Amino acid sequence: MSSIDLTIEICGMSGDGTIAAGLLLNEALSAAGFSLMALDSYPAEIRGFGRCVTRTRISNKEMTALSHKTNVLISLDDEQSRSRVPFLTEDAVILFDNRPVVYIGEDKALLPLLEPEMNIFGIPFGDLASQASGSRRGKNLAALGGFAALFGIPAEPFYAAIKKKFQAKGEKVLDANLKCFDAGMEFGARTYKNKLQKIIQPGTNGVSSEKQLVSGNVAVSTAAIDAGLALYFGYPITPATPIMEHLARYLPEKGGKIMQMEDEISSIGGVLGSYFAGKRAMTATSGPGFALMTELIAHATVTEIPAVIINAQRGGPATGLPTKTEQSDLQAAVFGGPGDSARIVIAPSNVNECYYFTLKSFQLAERYQTPVIVLTDFFLNNRVENIDPLKAPEGDIKDGNILPDESKKDKYLRYENTETGISPRALPGMEGYIFASTGLEHTEKGVPDYTAQIHMMMSEKRHRKIMNALKDLPEPKEYDPEDEYDIGIIAWGSTSGAAIEAAGLARERGIKAGMLKIGSIFPYHAEKIKAFMNKCDEILIPELNFEGQLANLTGHLHRKEVRRFNRVTGVPMTAVEILEAIEDIVSRRSHQ
Amino acid sequence: MKDQHFVVIGNGPAGNEAALTLRSHARDTRITLISKESGGCYQPHLLPSFISGNLAEENLYVFSPSSYKELGIKFRSGQEVVDLDLRTREIYLDHREVIKYDGLIISLGGKPRIPENLEVFNDLMLTLKTIHDAKIWLKRLKRAETVLMIGGDLTSLSFTSQLLKMDKKIFFALNEEAFWPMRFSETLHDEVAEKLVQKGVTVLDYSRIKSMNSLPKGGVEVHTDHQTVCTDIVGAFFGLVPDVGFLARSGLKIDRGILVDEYLNTGYKGVYATGDCAQVYHPEINDYWVSIGHDNAVALGKTAALNLVGEHIKAEPECIFNVNGFCTNSSWWMEF
Repeated sequence: MSSIDLTIEICGMSGDGTIAAGLLLNEALSAAGFSLMALDSYPAEIRGFGRCVTRTRISNKEMTALSHKTNVLISLDDEQSRSRVPFLTEDAVILFDNRPVVYIGEDKALLPLLEPEMNIFGIPFGDLASQASGSRRGKNLAALGGFAALFGIPAEPFYAAIKKKFQAKGEKVLDANLKCFDAGMEFGARTYKNKLQKIIQPGTNGVSSEKQLVSGNVAVSTAAIDAGLALYFGYPITPATPIMEHLARYLPEKGGKIMQMEDEISSIGGVLGSYFAGKRAMTATSGPGFALMTELIAHATVTEIPAVIINAQRGGPATGLPTKTEQSDLQAAVFGGPGDSARIVIAPSNVNECYYFTLKSFQLAERYQTPVIVLTDFFLNNRVENIDPLKAPEGDIKDGNILPDESKKDKYLRYENTETGISPRALPGMEGYIFASTGLEHTEKGVPDYTAQIHMMMSEKRHRKIMNALKDLPEPKEYDPEDEYDIGIIAWGSTSGAAIEAAGLARERGIKAGMLKIGSIFPYHAEKIKAFMNKCDEILIPELNFEGQLANLTGHLHRKEVRRFNRVTGVPMTAVEILEAIEDIVSRRSHQ
Repeated sequence: MKDQHFVVIGNGPAGNEAALTLRSHARDTRITLISKESGGCYQPHLLPSFISGNLAEENLYVFSPSSYKELGIKFRSGQEVVDLDLRTREIYLDHREVIKYDGLIISLGGKPRIPENLEVFNDLMLTLKTIHDAKIWLKRLKRAETVLMIGGDLTSLSFTSQLLKMDKKIFFALNEEAFWPMRFSETLHDEVAEKLVQKGVTVLDYSRIKSMNSLPKGGVEVHTDHQTVCTDIVGAFFGLVPDVGFLARSGLKIDRGILVDEYLNTGYKGVYATGDCAQVYHPEINDYWVSIGHDNAVALGKTAALNLVGEHIKAEPECIFNVNGFCTNSSWWMEF
């Protein structure tokens, strides 16, 4: 079977049904058996103007990142799609509406920007939809039909996806959408019968039909539910809002509750209150909301109250780029807040890890009595992948609380300075384990005390506790290990996938490239990272932030200055970009 | 001319030459070349050799799409002009895009000429004008043993030679429509018929085709006033006519083609027509003539472009022939 690696974009104006078409496309292609990764991009404004783009990469092999270039562009709006042309491959396939309602000027039309080598297919999306359903609104479905015809994809997976989406809206709506799809497919098959490119051989695409199409946000939410989340507190913010929406729908079925708070401060307050009382709780936010939470996060570190906080990063600083991706909250997550307030920060790198890291975070928070920050980002939260069914390992969902034993009764020291730094935590209502809890520095019993001796001791205890958590945190993963490398890439979060692919491409070009993925940002596995660095002549750390925040945190472990590759373009980093950085470094070395 | 936009419609030999000439004489001007056909500029007279396998497809082309890009000419491939507004200087494309121009050269070329009495049989006959046509021939010839050539223009003669190399059985129908745009004569008929017979072609003499029917198992049955022939393919070769139908509403003066003065100007400032689609006025004969053939097309394309950038050059035909009242300058004729 030949290798398939295809990236499909749908681009339109807000209100064109671009995102809906992308969802249907993903559902259908996943059902057809492809490996799939997809991401939507939409404007910060609610509706009426602005560009919407969905990107879907499919393959008959596993993949870790989106591609650098787009093979197929389905344009629902000429003017908006013009911006996508630089991302097209030289032999790209373009489907566009060749019967728009009005004539389009050359300065707003798509075709003037396309190259003759490209394969351009005009399909009257709007007219077909209008003829099929009486309204041009179904043009996105007609476009999908045209795509299915051109690439020889059977209608059935699309029918199933359309039914899934529109069944609840009644027979009339469902029927109209099916007719629009059929009209596009029939037109494409009839008009371009000599140009059809069959890419699908059903049942031979190498991916188990058991795979599920899951977004990062749904994976986080599902993990929280599977972990036995009792209470969710949140305030809407892109890109974390879908977590609250998902939980609002499914958490009550499991006996949990969600509460939309007046702001992020009260959200984290709610989480601390719940956990103080022994109930698993979580909040999800993004950079600006996280900034508001930092005082209470620090409060949780000093009072040693568990908390689970999802920080879905977006472009910053401040309000920044609300609907764009970035990895620029690492320093805020690790260091944000007053005083020395060490906490656990872990960063998943794919949808699967969004689930397993979130699941684990509840237990970690309880065991180490600390805020655990799960650091995702827009790309990770919003992208969908088709993955194996999510199933919580029994050991990861059980209660992580370490309760005081009987011998401590009536002489209980809530903040006892133990060897591990973990002080068994009593829950309110446990008879004989009374304690004071305060944000002021305090003694082992919890009594406020500002003396130098106490502050030194308790600061050291709290940090020792966090460092001891390292053994329970996700270890760095080295891909295709070798004894030595010309260059080693260290990546975290959503950039890791592109870095894995880039390392593979570099090796294909004869460059000895290694790749280490870091899942635990703080504390981090210094010895393991150092061991990897020692095998590498050069270290490259690609990050979607300007300052090189992971490089700042871990760069000192290398014997010489690490190389940084920093991008703040608002879009995911691609393997090709990282590969170019690798080749640049290797080339400079060879000329030294 | 820095901020101006020159547009050339049509990418045959005339349009291609016009665009290249504009580029070399108006370096800062934006130039767009629009072609209904996909791909670059090719040599249509070599299509028979391509079909027979004696010429690779890439060798048909004289100018590739990427070459236009290197020259800074925007090549709009596979895009069809459907209307023209000379007042607002706007070009309308089939996919509902509108392009503004400051200077325009129309070189739409020709389309296969089918005599009116045969138009009803269009679906049963193949023509050979474009690469697309050639690919249809290629596909059909794979399972064809016999071909009937009707019309007898010069393409048909060169194509017959290639079909014989492919071991196809050829019927060649000669009547008074043959040899267009040359005048039919008994002498010419006899000479051509003799050569064809010598090569193994069956020559059919007839006055008119009465009917054509598709056969249930494939192929076509052709009834003339003298005989009935069953053949796998019927090829219609009656020459070309200017492809200017959509310009009827534009305000341009159109007879068989677009009427232009001896400088190839249409009467509208900055708008020229050239190549096979133009009927060029000649003061000496006080009539219009048309050009046929690759070399003539190239020469006319260059003249139109030079005049658009400010020169004042007359289109000079090598020799004008009159065929049934139709004046033509045909390099094919000369080659024949």
